Amino acid sequence: MEPLLEAGPFSARDGEGRLLFSDAVVRLPTATAIVLDGPSGSGKSTLLRHVTGLTGDPASSGGGAAARTLKGETFQGESLPVWRTRVTLAAQDAPMLPGSVRHNLEFPYRFRCAGKRRFDVDRARPLMDEVGLEIPVDRDVSTLSGGERHRLAVVRGLLWDPAVLVADEPLSGLDADAAATCFELLLGFAHRPGHALLAVLHHRELGARADARIRLEDGRLEVV
Amino acid sequence: MNGELIALGPVQLAVATGLVAIAGAISLLLRLSLEKRLAIAALRTVIQLGLVGLILERVFALRNPWLVVGLVLVMTVFAAREAVARASRGYRGIGADAWLAIAGSCLIVGSIVTQVVVGVEPWYHPQYVIPLIGMILGNSLTGIAISLDRFLEHLAVRSAEVELYIAYGATRREALTPPLRAAVRTGMIPIMNSMAAAGIVALPGMMTGQILAGSPPLQAVAYQIVVMFMIAAASSFGAMASAVIAGRRFVGADGTLRLDKLREKSAG
Repeated sequence: MEPLLEAGPFSARDGEGRLLFSDAVVRLPTATAIVLDGPSGSGKSTLLRHVTGLTGDPASSGGGAAARTLKGETFQGESLPVWRTRVTLAAQDAPMLPGSVRHNLEFPYRFRCAGKRRFDVDRARPLMDEVGLEIPVDRDVSTLSGGERHRLAVVRGLLWDPAVLVADEPLSGLDADAAATCFELLLGFAHRPGHALLAVLHHRELGARADARIRLEDGRLEVV
Repeated sequence: MNGELIALGPVQLAVATGLVAIAGAISLLLRLSLEKRLAIAALRTVIQLGLVGLILERVFALRNPWLVVGLVLVMTVFAAREAVARASRGYRGIGADAWLAIAGSCLIVGSIVTQVVVGVEPWYHPQYVIPLIGMILGNSLTGIAISLDRFLEHLAVRSAEVELYIAYGATRREALTPPLRAAVRTGMIPIMNSMAAAGIVALPGMMTGQILAGSPPLQAVAYQIVVMFMIAAASSFGAMASAVIAGRRFVGADGTLRLDKLREKSAG
């Protein structure tokens, strides 16, 4: 069966020029949650940035150009912003914009590539309550704790509802209950047809509940 | 109305040098160890202005349009160099980009002011063109220096925010809007301050010079207003152009942030 998403082959080196991975291809079947693991420093975050197109494909590095395909449609160059609206990275450390909680949930809907998506605070509220973020949406994000920021980032990703959510340690800083609740929501998102989740997780027990695991080690990407 | 111009000779300048000596004495007294730098700066002022004076005398006398254009070009090159000299961050090609922003500012603001507002006749009349372009250059330079510094700082320090925009599908233009706004806003602060304070806190330098040189105050005021607005246009244009040009280098058409191009310079 044709995968929902196929991206690669990607090759990358770290800051010192050491090879992180080469010719890595990521394939995600529809309606699946997949966990990416591997030793620290193996390049997991770098691979997620390649998949989501945050790191470009340097023409100078040689090798075949990487392709990014979603539901049979290929994205490259100037169509990458559209790709990112559909294959969205929830980056490590839950980055936030200065301003209110609402601003942090709402900003992407104003982008040109957002298309017909509209921000709906009535959908945000119950989702925030569900992950235990019982705070007003006009609260300044600088007053949130690290755990609250991570939960807000999960809410932002789920509300945005891309085809594929790519999450880099979305549950870090969360206690076991909150992590389980958030992961449950992420699984619910991923298991709908036409959707998938690719996540790096540091919670081993939760990770075991994913549908499959791929492992990045010694520069190779393997399905386990 | 025109008073006689009191000519300044070597003796008068020597006395003025004594004024710098006061600043030097204060530096010695407070152990600021600025004497040496002060002396060098004062010396540079004398030599640079002296050379400029000699060149201007020749250029004014010759009245050759190519000479004026050539001099303006040379001035833009120096201005571009100064604009990036003290930045704490840089990138490959920053000098060329600064020159482009400065040249654009000169061409647009300069031609409107000299050809339309003042209506210089002939178009290259050096006595008007060179000082006016000089003012535009000096202020675009400040706008560019501040704006570029702020822009690159935003990209470096707040890259996570820029990439958050990009991760959710921002186009290049959308991703660059917040740093661009911060940069231009900061780049315009000096001219906003001097426009607001003009005449109240201090008589602007050019107006002071004109009055000292014997112009009627209202004429000096008219020129000063033209110059103020010209400076506002030049510094905001410079600030915006330099940030837009730099932005295109750091965010590709595919919307990826290329921070690897950024170079940190040690402060100094």
